[in-house]
Amino acid sequence: MSVSSPSLWLVVLAGVLVTYVWRLAGVLLVSRIDPDGPALRLVRAVVTALVAALVARMLLFPSGLLAGTPLPARLGAVLFGVAVWRFSGRMLEMAVAAGASMFLALQMLLP
Amino acid sequence: MSGASGRGYDWSYLKRGARQAASMPGVVMFFSFLGFGALLRSEGVPLVYGIAQDVAIWALPGQVVLLDAVSRGLPLLLGALAVTLTAVRLLPMVVLVLARSRLAGQARWPEYLAAHYIAATVWVMAEMHFDSLPRAGRLPWVIGLGTALVSAMTLATALGFMLTGIMAGPLAATLVFFTPAFFLLALIDGARMRMDWLAMALGAVLGPLVHVYWPSLDLLAAGLVGGGAAFLLGRNGGGRAAS
Repeated sequence: MSVSSPSLWLVVLAGVLVTYVWRLAGVLLVSRIDPDGPALRLVRAVVTALVAALVARMLLFPSGLLAGTPLPARLGAVLFGVAVWRFSGRMLEMAVAAGASMFLALQMLLP
Repeated sequence: MSGASGRGYDWSYLKRGARQAASMPGVVMFFSFLGFGALLRSEGVPLVYGIAQDVAIWALPGQVVLLDAVSRGLPLLLGALAVTLTAVRLLPMVVLVLARSRLAGQARWPEYLAAHYIAATVWVMAEMHFDSLPRAGRLPWVIGLGTALVSAMTLATALGFMLTGIMAGPLAATLVFFTPAFFLLALIDGARMRMDWLAMALGAVLGPLVHVYWPSLDLLAAGLVGGGAAFLLGRNGGGRAAS
């Protein structure tokens, strides 16, 4: 490892501070927002779009272990999961498990 | 709004929240943190730093970015900037969860504690369960859930650190795949109004487009632009609002 231990603790501490500051801002902000007003609906739309973008990034531009898997396997498995959710009467757990199983199978089948 | 806002929080829901950690979202999260443990080992960073990140940072994308900055030897300031960019998304999530769980006129320390636990998974789980919880029990439920999840994920990190290399490639990749699959299906499952569907579609299209040009800003840009547009276009979309 190229980094000395004291400086590594400093890096972790910096990471803690720059992460919690946004949560703190959320706590300070929420008491000034009308919980039934349009501002909160806007926030909900922003979070929904953001998480959708995160999913799209993980599927289209994966890093780490997923980077070595075929794109058709990732997309096919996710579509299969959505289909299972739709036709099983919205069973979330079953759909996630079905999607993951399909992903394992497609990795073996696809080049 | 349910529950009595005249009285304080109902802490008996702490235990119920903790028990909720043993569920599908908890298992999916466990797989992600196994992956984080494996990453620590492969970057040559001692386990104790990873555990410290789990407990004190508790936001996996930021933790991975921090690890990457350390292994590439980036200056502290650049590393901190990259991490804080990934953490901006926590602000709206904290607002959403607390808006439906905090009791006005009560002490605020439980909000500061609960905020530390809130990230994507806890937001999704709150969306799933808040309707069945009384208002006064929701914040204690989040704190119980968060405490149990953090404990379980430090275990997952340690396990992943130790198991690296034992697992076959396709199986390990499948564990990681659970995360996008769960988030996508949870979003679809939780969609209630036209605005939700629009936000999802716009985020999924804008995110990758922005990623090609500004990889570090893709989530924020997709969230603000896509979510903002969905809010404007979906205003008359009907459905019930989050209560």
